[in-house]
Amino acid sequence: MLSCRELAEQASQYLDKDLSLSQQLSVRMHLLMCRHCRRFIHQLRLGQQVIRQYPEPLDERLDELAKQLAERSSKQ
Amino acid sequence: MPYEADNRLLARLLKGEQPAFTELVKTYQSPMRAVAYAIVGASHADEIVQEAWLSVIRNLAKFEGRASLKTWLLTITANTAKSKLRQIRREVSLDSLPGGHDFNPDQRYADDGHWSSPPSHWEQDTPEALLSQEELRECLDKTLGSLSDVQKSVLMLRERQGLALEEICNLLDVSASNVRVLLHRARLKVFATLEHFEETGEC
Repeated sequence: MLSCRELAEQASQYLDKDLSLSQQLSVRMHLLMCRHCRRFIHQLRLGQQVIRQYPEPLDERLDELAKQLAERSSKQ
Repeated sequence: MPYEADNRLLARLLKGEQPAFTELVKTYQSPMRAVAYAIVGASHADEIVQEAWLSVIRNLAKFEGRASLKTWLLTITANTAKSKLRQIRREVSLDSLPGGHDFNPDQRYADDGHWSSPPSHWEQDTPEALLSQEELRECLDKTLGSLSDVQKSVLMLRERQGLALEEICNLLDVSASNVRVLLHRARLKVFATLEHFEETGEC
């Protein structure tokens, strides 16, 4: 039986679907029975979404870069 | 056609349409920078991305659509960065820099492996609610700033760009096991930052 500590060690691979079938099954079994670990995985997923949606600083130089590239490519 | 959208964009680029270049740059500058950042570090990243763009423009007509446009662009960036790296050899370190919050298993689990300090309920339970708090965004900036160049890029390429682990290994020349370690520790740091903020309202 997987311990909570062991589950945390495999948590990233679980999120990435990067575990073997039997490892995945033991994580799932554990999650069915353990609300603390369910919450932990849920909060790790929240962290992933926060990073995904994290606003990126607008880079004003990009418009200038695009212009330069377009000019350069027309000269090729 | 697996890459139909890419091909449409490519056709417009080859015709020299300015908005197509704007779209190209806005979509791919950030992942290209993440790749360059991971390989050559912050001080050379911008220079590499610039060089990579020029190489992209020179080779645009040769793009054959065997891979996605994104993979092609990131491979060019990685190759540009790697030839630079031969001049400025650096080691990939698995150590994080000091700063930010860590998830310390010894403080969270009892000897039998059960939680001794389990995760608590968070008041803000959606990414939108979490990100609406300006102080929290500042805390996250600090945490991201505490990651090494490679680790930050691995996190960004995985979470923001959705690249496969294998693709990240190939682009950055980091072994699969190291990518997993870097990614896992980065995610735990993000978790620890969110948790600490939710519990104390402070960084």
